[in-house]
Amino acid sequence: MTRLAAFLAFWAIALAAAPVRAEQLIVALSTEEVRITSNFTGTSIAVFGAIERDAATVSRAEFYDVVVSVKGPSETVVTRRKARYVGIWLNSASRTFVNIPSFYAVNSSRPLSEVTTPQILKRFQIGADDLVFPVSADDDAETAGPDDEFRKAFIRLKQQDGLYRSEAYGVKFPGTEIFQTAVQIPANVPVGRYVVTVHLFRDGAMLASDQSEIRISKMGFEQFTFDLAHNQGLIYGLICVILAVFTGWLAGVIFRKD
Amino acid sequence: MQIYLPIAELPVNMFIILGMGGAVGFLSGLFGVGGGFLLTPLLIFSGISPAVAVASTTAQVVASSASAAIIYWRRRMIDVKLAGVLVASGILGSSIGVGIFSLLRRWGQLDLVIAICYVTFLGLVGGLMLTESIRAMINARLGRPAPLRRPGQHNWAHGLPFKMRFKRSKLYVSVIPIIAIGVGIGILGSLLGIGGGFILVPALIYLLRVPTNIVIGTSLIQMTGTMAVATVLQSTSNHTVDGVLALILMVGGVIGAQFGARVGAHVRGDQLRAMLALLVLGVGIRFFVDLVHTPADLFSLATLAGDTR
Repeated sequence: MTRLAAFLAFWAIALAAAPVRAEQLIVALSTEEVRITSNFTGTSIAVFGAIERDAATVSRAEFYDVVVSVKGPSETVVTRRKARYVGIWLNSASRTFVNIPSFYAVNSSRPLSEVTTPQILKRFQIGADDLVFPVSADDDAETAGPDDEFRKAFIRLKQQDGLYRSEAYGVKFPGTEIFQTAVQIPANVPVGRYVVTVHLFRDGAMLASDQSEIRISKMGFEQFTFDLAHNQGLIYGLICVILAVFTGWLAGVIFRKD
Repeated sequence: MQIYLPIAELPVNMFIILGMGGAVGFLSGLFGVGGGFLLTPLLIFSGISPAVAVASTTAQVVASSASAAIIYWRRRMIDVKLAGVLVASGILGSSIGVGIFSLLRRWGQLDLVIAICYVTFLGLVGGLMLTESIRAMINARLGRPAPLRRPGQHNWAHGLPFKMRFKRSKLYVSVIPIIAIGVGIGILGSLLGIGGGFILVPALIYLLRVPTNIVIGTSLIQMTGTMAVATVLQSTSNHTVDGVLALILMVGGVIGAQFGARVGAHVRGDQLRAMLALLVLGVGIRFFVDLVHTPADLFSLATLAGDTR
């Protein structure tokens, strides 16, 4: 309900502000909750949508472009660089990035540079290169620019883990005003609140946006174990020890020779 | 079959982990060691973060050493008083070890220290064991009797104050070296996820002159006690014990150990020790190569607490 209310409110404002841009985005997700259970090996979230135009909208020759981005819960990450000291490689310099998305996927109908201008990409933080990377106060700079080597390394390592991904032609148009895409969620995905943002462009101009949420959470045993380990470490540790001693004892009983 | 590990937060193939536990269990049964020094590296090399690998192996070592300790307990081959002093000092040691562990994680140097400790201790112990077993093999081939050990002989460790009597071991020694050994093994054990049997047993025999027939049972009690405390400490302060991972390893480990022990009964002692020495050296060399070899990626990511991302 809140989503719908937010949606309506957004459109009330959007329509009042820009009566000329009369396109409306209607977005549906294949799921609103991803459950991590013991057999979880990753999943994919399908995003469907339709572009609705009212009768007054002028029909133009240009095609629509759609950019779908999925942002995971933010985290603080230390990026470290190894250096060689007396023949041994060890972590030396580091940079701490604060409040950056733990997961970031962007699917678009065309490469981002063709969809719109660099200014708009930067303003709306679309694409990993245009995300703002705030740096911890201990480090020298306030934010890390696109050429910062720690930032580059961060994005590269995240891409290797499948946690930062982009598909330049990932959004398909089965009809002229209907689009669909699938965002891959790998097995090592962090749990939490995910924000799915859909931007509609035509001719480089942003016509409409839509935001919705997905929850990714551990379920049942996985959730219970994780909570216990993090909130009741002592009890969890004792359970592990009892389990270990019991397993050892059981093996002795089963394999007893005499 | 893929199974999602709740603490490591990644899916693993259950049968690979079970096989790993089984293989290490087989070797530990064969050589009469805990196997932690093989299991932790194997887990690290297979992509589990060092913090989770060390802490989960700690729990696995409890299972394997408890399993063996029960057998020695039934045969009354344990010096309870000596084991008590060792466990008490081991608990002190593992508290220190877990504290160091947390600090190093925060500084991002845990992997480095683990690697350096592995290189040092495995290299040292492996090298000593190899020379000793080769000498024994040469003696056996030449038909010379092995050099006689004189258990009654005293060394510097026996001249220290605060003497204590251990009836079962027929010892009257200072508690200082015992506590030092216990604390040292406790620190190493919680830091590296090893039981430390391969250091503890020689230390008890050569330093304290504990009779060989009760040394293994006593050291098993020390390992069970110390590693149990280390497991609890790791889960309270670092939250890195993965119960699911540990359970799979335990099951594989205790089964493997039974078969290993049966095979081990048919192999000569000096040959067993030589094989174990080569294995220990091999793991040490592997860590050494990783330390000096230029890494494929100079950068790494971690959370503030030190979890690898």
